[in-house]
Amino acid sequence: MQPAIVLEDIRRSFKNHFWQKKKEVLQGISLEVNENEVFGFLGPNGAGKTTTIKIITGLIRPDSGNATIFGMEPDSLCAKEKIGFLPESPYFYEHLTGYEFLKIHALLSGLSEHKQVCIRMLERVGLATSMGVQLRSYSRGMLQRIGIAQALIGSPKLLILDEPLTGLDPIGRKEIKDLILEEKKKGTTIFFSSHILPDAEAVCDRVGIIIEGQIKEVGKLADVLKKGIRADEITLEDWFVSHTKASDRE
Amino acid sequence: MNKVKAIFENTFKESLRQKILVLLIVFALLLIIVSIFLEPFALGETPKIMRDLGLAAASLFGILTTIIVGSTLIHRDVEKRTIYTVVSKPVRRSEIVLGKFLGLAALIGILILAMLCIHQLVILIYEGSFEHSLFIAYPFALLEVSVILSILLLFSSFSSSTLASIMGVIFFVIGHAMPDLKLFAESTRVPALKHTAYAFYYLLPNLENFNIRTDLVHQIPLQTDQLFFSVCYGIIYTVFLLYLTTIIFERREFK
Repeated sequence: MQPAIVLEDIRRSFKNHFWQKKKEVLQGISLEVNENEVFGFLGPNGAGKTTTIKIITGLIRPDSGNATIFGMEPDSLCAKEKIGFLPESPYFYEHLTGYEFLKIHALLSGLSEHKQVCIRMLERVGLATSMGVQLRSYSRGMLQRIGIAQALIGSPKLLILDEPLTGLDPIGRKEIKDLILEEKKKGTTIFFSSHILPDAEAVCDRVGIIIEGQIKEVGKLADVLKKGIRADEITLEDWFVSHTKASDRE
Repeated sequence: MNKVKAIFENTFKESLRQKILVLLIVFALLLIIVSIFLEPFALGETPKIMRDLGLAAASLFGILTTIIVGSTLIHRDVEKRTIYTVVSKPVRRSEIVLGKFLGLAALIGILILAMLCIHQLVILIYEGSFEHSLFIAYPFALLEVSVILSILLLFSSFSSSTLASIMGVIFFVIGHAMPDLKLFAESTRVPALKHTAYAFYYLLPNLENFNIRTDLVHQIPLQTDQLFFSVCYGIIYTVFLLYLTTIIFERREFK
């Protein structure tokens, strides 16, 4: 079976201002995500998760290395037909209603018969009663749900979610986790990033841990946990801080 | 085509939200005030002044709206990250550029049409009949707007909205100074200056091609071949700039 995502020795640098030196955000990361698995991409803030996701979705290009989605270039139209993407802290067109927003994304996904699809999707994410309300009136949780709805529209084979659980209350988090598991049952591959371990524990088949632009661990969560990360409320920042202190002492 | 339509609809609604209709009210008030208060001072030239002022105001309001809304058209989407969910869908960058251009052009087209109706209504009330030449002059104002809009989109695709709006104003001013530039090129004796002036004259948009206000106000007959040239010039210049915008936008990354 062809992997859903393949990243081979990806490097990417940025500089904030033209007078500043370039900082290498991704330092040669390699990764494979199999079809129909839920892959958690974990790491502390600033580790390079969002940059990796932007390369996978074709928003930016790597300086070197190779990225493919089902064997295709990430910025090709064929690859994009298979992707559903929820950006981190998404901002949407505030003047649109929930229904209008989904309709636009349905059309952009190539669906001509969109009305029923949009209504079904709004029902699925629990926003059917708010479909006529402008997005500017939506709460943080509602925006996250409409964001997931636009990612799911067109039934993508690969779902890429950047920090989908951040800022949600416990009920919202459970709903999103349930939705991820529902999609897995349908055969969708899910790649999602998070900096909180218990999120991954609930839904992931495998995880990859990225710290300072390098992949530190890839494997089943249980195996990774055996290597020193506790699966309680501790976050990867805590784990990273403790490991950095340990290595400093050595 | 559905994808262009989706971007078109979104741009239209988004631009409409920016309370452009206020400009229409100002335009109507301006014309009414002029027609009421100018008459005692106009020495019988009120109809001419009304035509000239109305057309100038319509052109200025159209350009003003274009610069205000057009300069932020792509840049705001990038800045607010609303573009992420759009470009991650199977949509070509050219479809995004075309949809955005058509969305705002349609809105400004409606604005200009509404100003034409107000202008004709004021003339009808004042003189008892329509001024048919205005039906030619207003579409030319839209052609000018389409060239300026494509310039704004070009700059908005790779720079900030501030720079895009500054460039819009600069191109508007230079575009109307083209006859002077040609005159300078013809009269200067320095070869380097002559060549440079001619290069700029042929390269930069000549917005005076769309200015038929003077001819209409002074009732000078319009040349059909000149009008045809101006229409072709406007369309070709706009298409070229949109093509250039697409090439730049296709290479753009969203960091």
